[in-house]
Amino acid sequence: MRGAANSLKYLLLAAALAYPLMPFRDVYVLHVLVLIMVYMVLAMGLNILPGFCGLLDLGFVGFYGIGAYTAGLLTVHYNMSFWLIVPLAVINGALFGVLLGAPTLRLVGDYFAIVTFGFSELVVLFLTNEIWLTRGPLGIPGIAPIALDVTWLATLLGIDERWRYVFRGEMPYYYLAMVMVALVYVVMRRVEDSRLGRAWLAIREDPMAAASCGVNLFAYKVIAFAVSTGIGAMAGAFLARWSQFLSPDMFKFWESFLVLCMVVLGGLGNINGALIGSVILIALGEVLRVVLPKLGLPAETRFLAYGLIMVLIMRFRPNGIFTQVAESTMQSRLIKDLRARLDARRTA
Amino acid sequence: MLEQQLVNGFTLGLIYALIAVGYTMVYGVIELINFAHGEIYMLGAFLTLSFISMGLPLPLAVVLAMLAAAAIGVLLDIVAYRPLREAPRLAALITAIGMSIFLQNLAMIIWGSRPLPFPRQALPAFFSEPALTFSDVTISWMQMLIYAVAVVLMVGLNLVITKTRVGTAMRALAQNQTAAALMGINVNRVITFTFALGSAMGAMAGIMVSMYYNTMYPTMGYLAGVKAFAAAVLGGIGSVPGAMLGGVVLGIAETLGAGYLSSPYRDGVAYAVMILVIIFRPSGLLGRAVTEKA
Amino acid sequence: MDAILSVDGVSKRFGGLMALSDVSFAVERGVITGLIGPNGAGKTTMFNCVAGIYTPTDGRIVFADGAGERNVAGSKPERMTTLGVARTFQNIRLFATLTVLDNVRIARHCRTSANFFGAVLRTKSQRAEEQRIIDAAMDNLDFVGLGETALSPASSLSYGDQRRLEIARALATDPKLLLLDEPAAGMNPRETEGLVDLIHAILSRGVTVVLIEHDMKLVMRICKRLVVLDHGVKIADGSPQEVRSNPDVIEAYLGKGAAHA
Repeated sequence: MRGAANSLKYLLLAAALAYPLMPFRDVYVLHVLVLIMVYMVLAMGLNILPGFCGLLDLGFVGFYGIGAYTAGLLTVHYNMSFWLIVPLAVINGALFGVLLGAPTLRLVGDYFAIVTFGFSELVVLFLTNEIWLTRGPLGIPGIAPIALDVTWLATLLGIDERWRYVFRGEMPYYYLAMVMVALVYVVMRRVEDSRLGRAWLAIREDPMAAASCGVNLFAYKVIAFAVSTGIGAMAGAFLARWSQFLSPDMFKFWESFLVLCMVVLGGLGNINGALIGSVILIALGEVLRVVLPKLGLPAETRFLAYGLIMVLIMRFRPNGIFTQVAESTMQSRLIKDLRARLDARRTA
Repeated sequence: MLEQQLVNGFTLGLIYALIAVGYTMVYGVIELINFAHGEIYMLGAFLTLSFISMGLPLPLAVVLAMLAAAAIGVLLDIVAYRPLREAPRLAALITAIGMSIFLQNLAMIIWGSRPLPFPRQALPAFFSEPALTFSDVTISWMQMLIYAVAVVLMVGLNLVITKTRVGTAMRALAQNQTAAALMGINVNRVITFTFALGSAMGAMAGIMVSMYYNTMYPTMGYLAGVKAFAAAVLGGIGSVPGAMLGGVVLGIAETLGAGYLSSPYRDGVAYAVMILVIIFRPSGLLGRAVTEKA
Repeated sequence: MDAILSVDGVSKRFGGLMALSDVSFAVERGVITGLIGPNGAGKTTMFNCVAGIYTPTDGRIVFADGAGERNVAGSKPERMTTLGVARTFQNIRLFATLTVLDNVRIARHCRTSANFFGAVLRTKSQRAEEQRIIDAAMDNLDFVGLGETALSPASSLSYGDQRRLEIARALATDPKLLLLDEPAAGMNPRETEGLVDLIHAILSRGVTVVLIEHDMKLVMRICKRLVVLDHGVKIADGSPQEVRSNPDVIEAYLGKGAAHA
């Protein structure tokens, strides 16, 4: 069973890697796949709060927006390289996370949900009304695509050429998004199986017992919020240079809800689940977007399905449709060693 | 100008107060932010519209809409929240968000996504005329009606909470759920009553708002819900008089903020007030402090 | 007396209720002290004050960890754990969906230091620390006899084993003082016997034990000293024999007039 699941995983990965190179590739499908990967990053980032720490964040999209506008404005005004923008956007997102989290994370979880919600609405209001900075509802068009400039390498090699690759079409973004997903995935898996991840899970399970184990609740919640918002901002930076257009509409509450729904569907705290949740809901969204108008309904009513999914999951499958809590912890080498030791002891 | 702003803000504040008591009462008994409460408010307006278009007279339509909203509120609790009473808080909170989105989109499917006017022919013509005029301040009959209804409902609610058995039970539940159950209080019945009461008041607020602004739309509960929640937080979550006070203060602050500071940030006032109150005075104006245990 | 903990005039008020008023006692290093009293006497409140969950309204709590004495009243729980005070809970508070091992691994938090970057980069020191965490956790699990179940979910353990796991978790923080809140509650006689052996083993590791317990036979048997609370007031303090014959204690337990019966 385990082996079959693993083979399937590698098969899917190979197919995903090969698809853009196939003659039957489709630009629309590629676009949707990139979108899915953006949401995978968002879902993994959000998962830290409700999934690992048991904190409901209803304003995740605000940090996605902060990252996107940081990247968009730095590109438009300073023509800054994407590779420099990403860390700046992450730092900016995390900074806002700490500024908002520090005063509020001492309060009960419900208030945190409300504060994050209010904050993300304020972000949208700011983006809409501070026209001098963001052009308001008109949005920011013409954000330059990502470029990879390795002329320095050519110079180093003594070749007098300009080695600069500009990302055009979906394909380069597709591979870059894959790298981004892989990076965040590895980070999340490693953090989950670490002292930090265990402290988070302890907070989710029982804050008082966690504190009695020596976990500083407040500090670890702030760290969680900063990491989560930093990842959200990173996805935003990618979005800015991929869509090459930003407007405040792209960061409304619906987006936060959608990402939360992905995390809930995949199972709170389940990193693989967050990935699967993103695939299912974006694919479902694309289908409903086509089907609903044919039924005479506005396309927004697809959220009816998302709302229902959340209610039903919480009621009947509160651990999501994939129930393997902290799976990476069980797969680490140290745990495998321990399992072998225990087995040896049992047989001895 | 200032006086007129105050009058308009006060009117708006009473509406917020009516919605806010629903949030605060439910929070009092089951410690849940019922995000779907804003949708009950929205449904109040649409149900009245539907009843009127069936040919019912306005007063009957309003009463039926309030009853229907109360039933929906109770159903919401029984179907969605009650099964999660023993589950982690996060599960109930997520369910509340899910129900809010679900009801909003259900309304969109039933009544369409575009704003609809309130059937004005159902209202007496003099409603939009001024009732009182002092120098440059005008209070319309519509506003007078809102004041009257709000005052009657609030006074009635206070009587229910302080003078009746079920009201006493509600307060007991807010103090200590286990002890209340041990004292022989039927916890679920009290919770049901709380949902019914809060939902009816929220629906009334929705009906009056749709009359006042002559418009209703499926997403109207979203913003109003947040603002009313902000009012409940401002007043001290769990405190009914606090919710009333918070609603009025917020309504006036919002109108003044929009008039004198910056009108695009009108809605931001509520968020800003809410965040600041939560950070600096989480117990609100009249409430108890709620901090993380341990 | 060599006291590891001195409670000095501690009061705790909740609104209008005095849960503890002016309680003073000392806990002798290296022995078992029992904290007893009828329901609602303020025993768990006392534990919560010592463990940093509550800040006493008044009074001093002096912890002497060998290196020196300090007033720890009002310290945060995580600070108390780091100083060397560990506790279990009256109503078991395990991390139920996590494994037995993870429950104990989390307790090593206060004795380890790897951060976000260590976790992401899997540095050499981080990996070595993770191995040490597992070894320490297994030592403690083996100590309470739960080593075999390390990789099962904590919620799958029997009630008695869940109590033992809570003790293992507390021990994994390397405490000098261990507070056990009704460790024998809900245990059958055989499990209670095992618990007695375990508590003596803990003592021989150099850990001082304070326990709240309703099972008087158990308390009289294993405690060297007893502190009796009633309605938030200390009414007696001394050896089990002294306490047993104290009229105030008999009255508190059996009602007025009982002492003369």
